[in-house]
Amino acid sequence: MTTVTHAKQKRRFQPMIIHIVLMVGSFLMVVPVLWSLLTSLKAPDEVTRIPITILPGQPHWDNFQKVADLLPFMTFYWNTIVTTLVKVLFGLLFSSLAAYAFARIHFPGRTLLFLLVLSVMMVPGQVFLIPQYLLMKDLGWLNSLKAITVTGMFSAYSTFLLRQFFLGLPSELEESARIDGCNPFRIYWNIMLPLAKPGLISVAIISTLWSWNDFLWPLVVNDSMDKMTLAVGLASLQGQFTTNYPVLMAGMLLAVWPMILIFFLLQKQFIEGITLGGLKG
Amino acid sequence: MNKNYASILIFTVMLTLLLSGCGAGNSASDSSNESESASGNVTLTYGLWDQVQQPAMEKIIAKFEEQHPDIHVEIKLTPWNEYWTKLETAATGGNLPDVFWINGASLPKYASNNQLLNLDDYAKDTSLDFGNYPQGLVDIYTYDGKHYGVPKDMDAIGLWYNKSLFDQAGIPYPDETWDWNKAVEAAQKLTDPANGIWGLPAQFQGQTGYYNTILEAGGGFYTDDGKKSLYDSPESIRGLQLQTDLIHKYKVSPTLAQMTDTSPKDLFRSGKVAMLIDGSWNVKDFATNEYTKNNVDVALLPKDKLRTSVIHGLANVGAANTKHPKEVIEFLDFLGSKESADIQGEDGTALPAFHGGQELWLKSVPQFHLQNLLDMANAAKALPRGPQNAKLDGLEEEYLKSAYTGESTPEEAAKAYAKAVNEAIASNP
Amino acid sequence: MNAKQPSSINAKRSKLKRREYGWGYAMVFPLLFGMSALFIWPVLRTIYLSFTEWSDFGNYHWTGLSNYIRLLRDTAVYHSLLHTLQYVIIYVPAIVILSTLAGVLLSSKVRGISVYRTIFFLPSVLMPAAIAMSWKWILNGDYGLLNAGLKLLSIHGVSWLTDSRTVLIAVVGVAVWGAVGLQAVIIISGIKGISPMLYEAASIEGAGRVSQFFRITLPLITPTLFFVSVTSLIGAMQVFDLIYMMVGTVAIDHVNTVVYLFYQQAFIKNDKGYASSIAVLLFIMILIVTALQFKLQKRWVHYD
Repeated sequence: MTTVTHAKQKRRFQPMIIHIVLMVGSFLMVVPVLWSLLTSLKAPDEVTRIPITILPGQPHWDNFQKVADLLPFMTFYWNTIVTTLVKVLFGLLFSSLAAYAFARIHFPGRTLLFLLVLSVMMVPGQVFLIPQYLLMKDLGWLNSLKAITVTGMFSAYSTFLLRQFFLGLPSELEESARIDGCNPFRIYWNIMLPLAKPGLISVAIISTLWSWNDFLWPLVVNDSMDKMTLAVGLASLQGQFTTNYPVLMAGMLLAVWPMILIFFLLQKQFIEGITLGGLKG
Repeated sequence: MNKNYASILIFTVMLTLLLSGCGAGNSASDSSNESESASGNVTLTYGLWDQVQQPAMEKIIAKFEEQHPDIHVEIKLTPWNEYWTKLETAATGGNLPDVFWINGASLPKYASNNQLLNLDDYAKDTSLDFGNYPQGLVDIYTYDGKHYGVPKDMDAIGLWYNKSLFDQAGIPYPDETWDWNKAVEAAQKLTDPANGIWGLPAQFQGQTGYYNTILEAGGGFYTDDGKKSLYDSPESIRGLQLQTDLIHKYKVSPTLAQMTDTSPKDLFRSGKVAMLIDGSWNVKDFATNEYTKNNVDVALLPKDKLRTSVIHGLANVGAANTKHPKEVIEFLDFLGSKESADIQGEDGTALPAFHGGQELWLKSVPQFHLQNLLDMANAAKALPRGPQNAKLDGLEEEYLKSAYTGESTPEEAAKAYAKAVNEAIASNP
Repeated sequence: MNAKQPSSINAKRSKLKRREYGWGYAMVFPLLFGMSALFIWPVLRTIYLSFTEWSDFGNYHWTGLSNYIRLLRDTAVYHSLLHTLQYVIIYVPAIVILSTLAGVLLSSKVRGISVYRTIFFLPSVLMPAAIAMSWKWILNGDYGLLNAGLKLLSIHGVSWLTDSRTVLIAVVGVAVWGAVGLQAVIIISGIKGISPMLYEAASIEGAGRVSQFFRITLPLITPTLFFVSVTSLIGAMQVFDLIYMMVGTVAIDHVNTVVYLFYQQAFIKNDKGYASSIAVLLFIMILIVTALQFKLQKRWVHYD
């Protein structure tokens, strides 16, 4: 009897600790974000006022109206959604295909090719700017959504992450499928992809985020307003000497809320661990 | 077995097709430019970076298009932080905007690589007259004796001051009688550490700082032949010292670290700085800021040996490889006219470079004595331009910084800098 | 007869093998095809450019090893290497430990976990400019939120972003703050990739949460942890944006990193040849460190 209550207590106690730690963490996470939120409601000169004012004297909700009037947000949303969708879907396909091959198929030159893929992460990103621009120019893709999209479809990062994920999965299922005469593509498609769901979700989250906020490349490769994405469009609010920060912050919040929503929905997929159909355990 | 290889092949081809076909639907609207030019109309692109000035530029374009119904101008706005990266990438791809803004620092790079339209080649087709603009500005945009830029605006430097703080301290406002001794004296009275109020910050910047005092002290930057630095002259050293003494000797300026943390301009905007040497580009900002709107004004810089300041200004330039040089010249011609100077002046954001085109600008903020800024501009000298030499870039900040942090005296810093410049020039003539 | 059979089996096996190889190449082909044009070619071009002297807009001439000789003599390079090293040494352990902790906590089944996860994710969605701006105000010496808080505890805070003693810690702090949520997502996915049956079996054996964590969770997420540590290290060695946006004139001498130097040479001084040699130096260093991590992983990473 005592052991039962003890266990019960423990069961109630542990979530308490978790809640407390997570609340402290959440507080630290949220303070600078709240700052951005409060900034979006201030008058322009409140932002640089010294000493710093924390709360807006009077909430300027019209900042949101102003930024919506200033920029064609619907076009920006559309361009961002289209490019993100294409980048993420193709990115998932290409990197999971390659990741599976790198993890499971022992073809000659595999290590070298994998190293080649990884090496792309090892140079500063600015190195790619001019060569990629010249390539887009040769292809006649400047000022198109294609140019914005294509560079985001091949990710060394996603490939590496998924490779690690595949490597962590048990190989028994594959063995039996191979004995049944499945070719590697079928094994990948029918067996391994479903098992790798948590990994695919995290790749989807990360690449959605990167695509949504991608800045320098879409800025350089495109200069027509109707092909601009949210991050680039927003930056045009920055002046050389003065910037209306409240309006900029309001614009940023309008730009990122879908990301928060997408994350909220996607992370719900992290529910249970994988089920291996009784093979292991 | 053949079947298997075939399926691998098909699979590969499919993926390649997917890849190359993706987004093909997006290109439909790309060709708008070409179709317009085909029907006899020309579309020019106009690259600029300041969103604040965009409305004025749009007005100018509207006027221009009214007079030239066959030319259409499209603004391509790139924020300042990325403007030069993008411009360089575009230039490497032979894809510069037809017309764009440039500053003095970047002109030599673009002019020396034949990226810019030489305006002298078209002189007879235009009404452009470089006598219409301050000579200092025209010089900035002249390279190897050829004109490349049409001066757009100018950055005049003046002494901004907080009237309320002067009133509280019972000190008369700065005027044309002020020299640096008087400025320092006032600054000491105005400085109030208990309330966090600073008399006169020494901004660690050439244009709003030591360039002005070096010139006022009678110093200079380079010898006329551009072979040697003049920083080690007693006058230049004095000019630098006028600034750094504000921090270390008189303590009327925040330290360099404090100024990096909180910019003097933000402090000025909040009424925490009594005097600030800063540019004409602030006029519209100060005129709209709740606090500065009614509490500040602008005066002449205090004089030393003479009263002067540096001047800079932007210019409009054309791309050398534009497909429509004739239209580009027509547009540049218009951008350099009194008409477009008036539109800029009325807007108040930028001080137009066109002689006599400043009346509307002077009236744009009646509560500020903007004439003082214009007087400073008329007495100003061009920003220093040393020889084209990559090794010189960044040296200035690197060496002069120590005088501001107090690690070395202005004399040591200036001499060390001059020595480094002379060595760089000698090693790479 | 006896001798013939194995050889036909061998032949069949090698045919199977070759077919499997074919599939392997086909599956990596789409990725490699795109990467070659968009990424690998620019990397090779950078290596080539590092042996040239660049004048503006794509004109360059071959100068052999002179960029590298200059590199070895440039004290700025050694400073930037030192700063990068300092940054890496603080950042990488901090992010790996904190994101593992966050990932483990955020995969527990408590009420409102979705909300917690979303809050931890928030910093990742903000624009870097907004992050820099918010933190500059928080860390401001005279007027900052942090120092106002410390004042309540009667601690006199310094000017975090301009003081040479604190600037590195401050930047690492902001970087960790910005990255921990996203890294935690990866850890969560690693944890969710573990079969629940293992935990069931362990709890039948009577193992407590802590012992389950060390016996099951930790070993099984080592492939994910390996990923997090390799990519964090690569990212840390390339740190730039945050420093560029947050640190001003005074303290920059204490935190200018290799990529900062690269950026300065490539885009401000416009010395693309020299900049390329800096990029190649960085590339080689990252390559060595990463290769070392791959070698050492056999000691601590458990695949299946």
